[in-house]
Amino acid sequence: MTKLVQGVRKYGLLAAAACAASGAMITHARLPAASPTLEGPVKVAARRVTESQYRNIIADTFGDWVQVNARFEPERRQDGLLAIGSTQLSITPVGFEQYYGAARSISDQVLSEGRRATTVPCTPRDAEQADDACAATFLRSYGERLFRRPLTEAQIDARLATARKGEDFYDGLELALTSLLIAPEFLFRIEVAEPDPSGAARLDGFTKASRIAFLMWDTGPDAELLAAAKSGALDTPEGLQRQVARLQASPRLADGVRAFFTDMLQLDAFEGLTKDASIYPKFSQTVADSAREETLRTVVDQLVTRNRDYRDLFVTRETWLNRSLAAVYKVPFVSQEEWAPYTFPEESGRSGLLTQVTFLSLFSHPGSSSPTKRGVKLYEIFFAQPTPDPPADVDFSKVQASSEGTVRMRLIEHMTNEGCAACHSVSDPVGLALEHFDSLGQVRMLEDGKPIDVSAVLNGKQVSGAQGVGQFMRDNPRVPATLVRNIYYYGVGRGFDERDETFFEQEAQAFAAAGYKVPALFGQIATSPYFMKVVIPSGAKPVPARPEQVATRHSADSRRGAAR
Amino acid sequence: MKTLRFDRRSIMRGVLRGGAAVALGIPTLDMFLDGNGAALANGRPMPVRFGTYFWGLGLTDTPQGTRWVPTKTGHGYEITPELESIRALKDKVSVFSGFRAIGDGKPNLVHWSGLAAIASGSAPGATNTMDSPSFDTIVADAIGQSTRFRSLDMSASGKPLSNSTYTGKAFATPEVSPLALYERLFGDGFQDPNNPDWKPDSRVMLRQSVLSAVKDQRDALAADVGKADRIKLDQYYTSVREMEKQLALQLEKPEYNAACLIPEKPEADKRGASIEVVNENSKTMARLLAMALVCNQTRVFNFVHTAGASETYLAGDSKIYHQYSHDEPTDAKLGYQINTSRLAGAVMQGFGDFLTELDAVEEGDRTVLDNSIIMAYSDTGYAKIHSLENIPMLLAGGAGGRHKAGQHIHTTGEPVTRVSLTAMQLAGAPVGEFGMGAMKTSSAVTEVLA
Repeated sequence: MTKLVQGVRKYGLLAAAACAASGAMITHARLPAASPTLEGPVKVAARRVTESQYRNIIADTFGDWVQVNARFEPERRQDGLLAIGSTQLSITPVGFEQYYGAARSISDQVLSEGRRATTVPCTPRDAEQADDACAATFLRSYGERLFRRPLTEAQIDARLATARKGEDFYDGLELALTSLLIAPEFLFRIEVAEPDPSGAARLDGFTKASRIAFLMWDTGPDAELLAAAKSGALDTPEGLQRQVARLQASPRLADGVRAFFTDMLQLDAFEGLTKDASIYPKFSQTVADSAREETLRTVVDQLVTRNRDYRDLFVTRETWLNRSLAAVYKVPFVSQEEWAPYTFPEESGRSGLLTQVTFLSLFSHPGSSSPTKRGVKLYEIFFAQPTPDPPADVDFSKVQASSEGTVRMRLIEHMTNEGCAACHSVSDPVGLALEHFDSLGQVRMLEDGKPIDVSAVLNGKQVSGAQGVGQFMRDNPRVPATLVRNIYYYGVGRGFDERDETFFEQEAQAFAAAGYKVPALFGQIATSPYFMKVVIPSGAKPVPARPEQVATRHSADSRRGAAR
Repeated sequence: MKTLRFDRRSIMRGVLRGGAAVALGIPTLDMFLDGNGAALANGRPMPVRFGTYFWGLGLTDTPQGTRWVPTKTGHGYEITPELESIRALKDKVSVFSGFRAIGDGKPNLVHWSGLAAIASGSAPGATNTMDSPSFDTIVADAIGQSTRFRSLDMSASGKPLSNSTYTGKAFATPEVSPLALYERLFGDGFQDPNNPDWKPDSRVMLRQSVLSAVKDQRDALAADVGKADRIKLDQYYTSVREMEKQLALQLEKPEYNAACLIPEKPEADKRGASIEVVNENSKTMARLLAMALVCNQTRVFNFVHTAGASETYLAGDSKIYHQYSHDEPTDAKLGYQINTSRLAGAVMQGFGDFLTELDAVEEGDRTVLDNSIIMAYSDTGYAKIHSLENIPMLLAGGAGGRHKAGQHIHTTGEPVTRVSLTAMQLAGAPVGEFGMGAMKTSSAVTEVLA
């Protein structure tokens, strides 16, 4: 280990450091161009925190006993990910009302008479009066966790002014805390770039801390990470690597993996998912919630707990069930626990993620399955290959007579019709091979009394049924390569950029060489120079430093000044 | 009659921190109205409410004929099969046919280009974005400043759909459940104008100071951000100001308003997207909305019945409306798609029910519908081919007497923006021109303007 660290110092190889965490040698691509130069700090991004991030930060900051009752605004998907689309979103009046209500409720709980003795780190001189010193201590300590960086004096002063208006000390503190909880610095992830000693732009330490914490734990930085940002440790490859390795080794990595797959697998589509009750009487909100949980449990169990090969997610017959899902799958549920592992028999025809209720029901119609929807989503999610909209003036007159027989008969027309074929010949075969599962994900062998043909030709190879599709997915190198891309896009909140291609190729190779292990991949991406690449947005300019600010930056408290 | 003092708060200008001037309106009371309920006793007109109503998949037109365009134009048009649901309210609804969305060389983005053209006045470059703000925001800026909510967004099919946008990228977040809509309107923060024991809540001022700490930091925060982030932060601070306005209103005693009655709380939400459930949601939401308008909670609303590529269905039928619209053969004898047309009629039933609820609530000797102007529109003309020609549009309500309602207006290929502009003008928004490129227009449909 000592030798390794020396090697890192001597050659400056981040790859060697990554080895310590993942057990594999990784050569990261270098940034194609030198970083832009900067005169001073500048804000490079403002991304709204997601619902799960909000909830996690509140629980980490105050304790998981705090109830958060709010309806969060919908996010927006672009290039396959909410993390990309939502970077364009702000907070509407409706959304702000919700944040405001939640902030009042959280402050009320945190400063309730029963809690204040433990939640407030100091005792006011007189609880009937404002006490700036104690209030400032409280605001500094919680503010740093909520804003993910130390508060500036101006930010504290504004809240002290609010606190003085309260009816007594704790009432004032409650108002001040509410004000932190509705602040843009809390509700948006505000990323800051700063000049390094040579003047080249780099993300500041707190931004780096947030990037890795949100990616790996789906929450803001913890105290240790904030300390590493403050000390400048995150500005060195070794320091960054040490923190990434710590996050990767923690059980909380499961939270980060869960959040990422919730986004990539489009599980938000469960919001508002409905099935026609007269055709699928078994469908209910409980089934929908359970299916979502089944998928996430499978992902975490396979990829994190057991550190399995990512590609096996498409062929494993192992899953997790509760009582209501067992009824949908028509299998016995004998466990006393709420959730129990279950392995489908070979003859079930099931094969990994694609044959879970989640994928099958999300990408279907309310009353029938949809090979086209399933095929389109399969390529979009796992291959990052979007399907263009159908031509507006397509002639449907030949696509008739769908009331009888199987859906295949109708779709054959699409696949042979010029204008439709380019897309449907890609999306439909794979969807038709999944047709042994209905709109709720239950097995069926007949449609309108006719046997369903689940054969398909994928990439020139004849396959049959879902297990054939699963194997096709497992063997296709584009599937793990897409995961690499998506984790990166998700972490940085930016979509496709052709200059990143070399980077992706090398990262995908490293992922393969390390046996397609997802925890290691998270660490690998978080430590790559690309992950901390600075993109200065159009119109962002540093504020010219005033003399007193320059003075502050050389004081002992220099990091705080730089964070402004 | 005792002289009533009106000037004190007929327009109260409260200058809030940050310099936003807010005009606080007054709730209405029957005795303030003149004889016919058209204007307040002091001569100020009754506030006109503006709404948009969207439904997906247009109405049925086939090369063989139409199921919705009346043959007669002007007043006294006949009710066609797919407009059956507005029969009882026909004299309060104008029907617009033959208008089209013009692409200006941009592709026809299916189930999007048409609605974006109507709402924003420009052919959009990409699905789910608009290239200009939607027209309801222009109206809301003009007439929505004085109420608790600048505008109210609702979606009846369980999904958070909205065509309302200031930036073209971020859309309004609608209420998707009647129960949540009820809570938002009549729950915490609602001021009952008929509560005899009204007292200002001293806590409200403290809540205002919570907001001022956030506003104090605005300059420091926004000084060095890029353009895109500045737009986001501006929108955030607009939302903060909206909250300030709500709080300021809570410090004002609301004027007695006998017509404002807190409606019954809806039952637990019904889940589902079948047309029966969507129509029932529409009806319940309309009932709540009608009272929200009377109680002066908002003057502008946006309602989405179903999505463009509508996923609604008849219960027990395995095919959704969107599938039918494309796949169903045209019946050789009848000349139209039978199930598609049945669904179109069922979808329009939602609109008829919606209007009926607004017409059931009286204000003076008029109804809420009479004092409103609601523009209903869809995303396509003939949905089977995603046609941007002859997109159905309707203007419902009397606009406080400004709308010469009950007419059928037919053109051959005039831009849809003419109808949008007409709606904005009927709502009293000072807008003389709307749209971009080939859809730019300054000519409203004057036939319907009083």
